[in-house]
Parts: sequence; structure tokens; C-alpha cells
Amino acid sequence: MSRRTIQIEMNRVEGDLDFQLEMEDNIVVDARCIGTLYRGFEQIMLGRKPTDALVITPRICGICGTAQLNAAVLALEHAGRIAVPPNAVRIRNLCLMAETVQSDLRQSFLFFTADFCHPKYLSRPFYDKALAAFQPFKGSVHRGALENSRHIVEIVALFGGQWPHSSYMLPGGVTTPANSRHIIDSLSILNKLTRWFEQTVIGTDLDVWLDLQSAEQFFAWLTEKPAHDESATGLLTQISREIGLQYLGFGTPHMLSYGAYDDPRYAGTFTQHKQRLFKAGFLNGETGIVEAFDQAKITEHVRYAWFQPYPGGLHPFQGQTVPDYQPHSDRYTWCKAPRYQDKVVQTGPLADALIDGEPLIRSLYQAEGGNAWLRQFARLRRTAKLLRTMRDTLHELSADLDEPHMLPPATKDIPDGEGFGLVTAARGGLGHWLQIADGAISRYQVVTPTAWNASPKDSAGRHGHWESSLIGMRVDDPDDPVEIGHIIRSHDPCLVCTVHILDSGKRLTLWP
Amino acid sequence: MPERHVLCFGNELHGDDGFGIGVYAQLNQLDWPSDVELFNAGIAGLDALRFLQDCRQAILVDAFAGFGTIGQICVLTPEDLTGQPQTSTSHGLGIPYLLEALKIVRAPLPEILIVGVEVAKVQPFCLGLSAEIERAVPEAVRLIRELLPE
Repeated sequence: MSRRTIQIEMNRVEGDLDFQLEMEDNIVVDARCIGTLYRGFEQIMLGRKPTDALVITPRICGICGTAQLNAAVLALEHAGRIAVPPNAVRIRNLCLMAETVQSDLRQSFLFFTADFCHPKYLSRPFYDKALAAFQPFKGSVHRGALENSRHIVEIVALFGGQWPHSSYMLPGGVTTPANSRHIIDSLSILNKLTRWFEQTVIGTDLDVWLDLQSAEQFFAWLTEKPAHDESATGLLTQISREIGLQYLGFGTPHMLSYGAYDDPRYAGTFTQHKQRLFKAGFLNGETGIVEAFDQAKITEHVRYAWFQPYPGGLHPFQGQTVPDYQPHSDRYTWCKAPRYQDKVVQTGPLADALIDGEPLIRSLYQAEGGNAWLRQFARLRRTAKLLRTMRDTLHELSADLDEPHMLPPATKDIPDGEGFGLVTAARGGLGHWLQIADGAISRYQVVTPTAWNASPKDSAGRHGHWESSLIGMRVDDPDDPVEIGHIIRSHDPCLVCTVHILDSGKRLTLWP
Repeated sequence: MPERHVLCFGNELHGDDGFGIGVYAQLNQLDWPSDVELFNAGIAGLDALRFLQDCRQAILVDAFAGFGTIGQICVLTPEDLTGQPQTSTSHGLGIPYLLEALKIVRAPLPEILIVGVEVAKVQPFCLGLSAEIERAVPEAVRLIRELLPE
């Protein structure tokens, strides 16, 4: 039996991530997901004025800054019991959706599908089609995604002045009202992208596509017309299934969603958890039942992370993030291990769709489980849904242009106390928890979607979601583990992914 | 309308990867013809495509690995980067990727030159440039000045 260690390095814009895999006879027997970059935003926030969060936390990420801003403003509003008008909610939602659409299209067609052009598949019947569509800079879908994805965040710039790292959401609303110019410009950006999505990605009309309700209907649709079968979604589905991604990369069966996009009709109410357009919940993978979500059930463990140790898990309101690098121990990452109801969970578009009850995704999940193909497919399904919801949101805004975009809070400062803000970012549930004492931030804890998914082992030694999605996998060629690339990319962690094998010192690039 | 753009790339938190930003700071002290615009492109990656629209000439500034001796200033054309899908610097998608993407989003392409310095290595979370690279900054500034006459 031969045992070797593979290290996979995942260079992200916003942080560095490595995978270390232990292989025995080409089977992954252990996996460590390593966050190699300490960020320290929790420390940066301490002692500052609460509203500084609106400027600092959107810098956490250059891809999901709108989500960070939205979480920060919700936490402040929760702490101060500050109401917002419906139009502010609509503008926030519109911008957050724009950011998610860009991220999902880029992840799908700049990164995920590029792996189908790997020389390993040279002799497969799909190879020429894969090249024609997905080859970086040459394939039609890759080129189209590059051109069409870049304009959608201009909607954020219209309302927020800039993208990324904008700060236009304030407690009580947003800085700029919608005027008819914003609506026309936003619709024109949205319509252009929707046309490309219909023609290239789904090969049909958005509403027709969203009407598909079951696995049977979907597979019948796929073979019904050449336009369906040759669409980017059609090709992605056929190739994924041809290489067996419907049997791989399940990870933990438990899924979590904070719900997405506040419902503007409930803009001024203060329930424990906000009413949302897409529902929150916890899908218990053992019972198959979706339970009500309660943020009080979230804890974070640090047993295998480079933080000052504490026993068990702590809720973010009691949370500690004190760095304590211990390189020669069994600790291996700067990521904490978040748990819900003490369970290992995954978050992201698949979890969101299942918990919201999206019929097609649910039907496919019942048939085959939460595999790597379905995870990727759910992300594209979401794009269709968001394009339509953005259009509806713009129409709602244009019907009520004179309504306020801001309700000035009664007091200038956020009072002492605590609050949390939970949103759905492109990669899943994102939460900010803050406490304020003597007018300054005394605790700020951020739990990102990647913290959930890239979690290391917890106090009980249970692996995080990505780690468990790789354990047990067979890799044909450990020097060129393209299978691992498919699984890792279906989780949407990275921009560029390189692999090096420790024992040979050889370094390989998966893509580009 | 500024028609000549200078885009400086790099991350000043990571040692010599901050070369481009050091150059930007010095370029910013100079008086430029009205058609020249300077951009601190930082780690913008694909988002830097925006800075390459509406210009007829662009100079990109970055740290290099594998093009010369340490501290040496090199001037490259996009053709020199063919077959180099990534730079060794840490900002995600590097200049070669950006230039490939640019071919898709605009035609004809602007005239592009890439000015850089060869660095020994990129030191994460280390503020400031090493002595050799620091010395190369004024030389790069002089060169860029010459490349952009009145």
C-alpha cells in the first residue's frame, strides 16, 4: 500500500486556502482544509465607533463586499432597533442580487467548466464540444461570460457610487433614492445580461426554464430541442454526468440557509429573524426535515485552528478570535469550525434552494442526493431566479419612486447593546454579530460562508464539509488530480487553483 | 479625455509585490499632460478591465519573476507574456490573464507596454520594499515619463 500526501493550493483574491490530502492507493483517506491567511477583522473592529463597520467590513472581500455591507448594516439596525423603508430594502436586495449573479456566472463559466477541457478527456466524445464552449478565452461560453458578467455590478455603482467595497447602506436605509434614470439604466444592464443568459446559458426563455418543476421534466426538456441540449447548462449537465459528478462530492448531509433578501413588505418589523423572499431553515440530513432556523444554535470551535484555545464551541456573542499560531501542533488552519446544533453543515446555493423548497432542485436531490453536479446546477438555477427577481424589484421600485429611501434614526448613535445581521452571499450564509459598550464596539464576530464550508475538524474531531466531500474519493492520477478540481470548484472557493505534491516537490496547475 | 493610461498593480502589504504601488506614489507627484491618467489598480484582477477601456495607449506596472536579474527594470510587450498564464505575484489573476480577457472585450486593443522590476520573492505581510527594489522605483518612474512624452 502506498501512502502519499498531496497539497492543493487555492489562491483566492481574498485569502489563501490549501488542501492537504492523504492518499492510500489513490483513495483520499484524510483531508485537511487549510486557511493560510489570518485576516484579523474581528480585532480591527474593537474599540471603534459602531458605524465604522460600514466602511471597514466591506473590505473583507472584493467579490462579496455588498453582502458584507448588508450584514453590517443589519447588525447595526438590529442593535438599535432601527426601521428602514421598503424602497431601501429593495435597493439593497437589487445590489446584493447583482453581485451574486456576477459571482455565480464567473464561477460557473470561467472556473468550473474550464476543467472539462482538461487533456484527460481528450478521447471522450464530448471533448470537441467542451473546447468550443468552455475553453478559456477561446470557447464561446467562456468569452460570453467574461464580457456579459462584468456589467451587472454597474447596478451597484449606480446606487452605491462604486463597486467593490462600497458603503452606501446606512442604518435607516440607503444613501441614494432610486430615480427613473437609475431604473432605466439598471433595466438596460439587466436586460442585456438576461438576453445572453437565455440565448447561451439555458437556450430558452427565462420563465419557461423556471417553470420546470421536476427531474423528469428537466431531463425531458434537455433532449427536447437542440437549443436545450447545446445550451451551456445542457452541456454542463451532460459532461458532468458523463464523468460521474452526480456520484461525487456529497460532503455533510446537513444544510443551512439564513434565507435570502429581506421582504420589503416587512421592512419596519423587528422579529428575531427577518421575513425573507427565500426562506431560512436548517435541513437536517438525518431526518430530511427542514427545521426552523435559529441563530442561537450557532457555535464556533477552535480545537484545530490557530486561535487561543477554549473548550467546545461558543456562540458568536460569546465568541473569541484571538490569534495564536501554533505551527508544530495538530492545529492546521486560520478558519474556525462553525457548527449548527452541534452538527457539521454546508451552506451555499444548493442548501438555499432545498430549504426554500425550489421544486426542481428538490426533485433532483431526492433522486440523487446533494452531489457535485447538483451543487453547480443549483448555482445556475439561482442565476435564472435572481434575474427574474431583479426585474420584479426594479418594477416595484419604479412604481414607488417617491417613497423614502431612508428613515433617519431617532438618535445619532447606535445605543449600547448587541445585534446580528445575517445575509445570503454568493457562497452561502454570512453573519456579523456585534456588541457595543460605552459607545464603542466591544465584540465583532464575522462568520463567513467559507468558514462553514472550509471548516476544519471541531472539538469532537469531526471533519468540515469540504474535507468530508473529498474523503473516500478515488483519484486516477495523483500528479494531476482533475477529479479533485471538479469537486473543489463545485463548492466555489477559488479563482486559481494550483496543486503541488509534497514528496516530489512538483508543482502543477489545474487551471488555467 | 485621458487617452494614455498608466495602471500600477501590486499589494504593498506583501513586500516587493508593492513595487507597482511605490511607482504609482511617485508618478502621482509629477505633473502630467492632460491626456495621461494614473490608476492604482492594486489587486483589481479582472475588474481592472475598466481602466483599459477608452485609451489608445496603456502602460502596466507590476513586479516580475523570471524576466531578468533582481532589481532590473524590464519593458515587455503583451507578446512576451504569451504562454505565461500567471504571474508569480499574489494578486489572484495576473496581468497575462487580464490581457487575454481584454482581447475579448475590446477591439482594437490599445498599445500596451508592461514595465516591471524583477523581484527575488514576495514576502507576505512585510511592509516596505527591499533595498534593490526601492532603488528601482525612481528608474521605473523616469522610464515611464520617457514613454509618455508631452
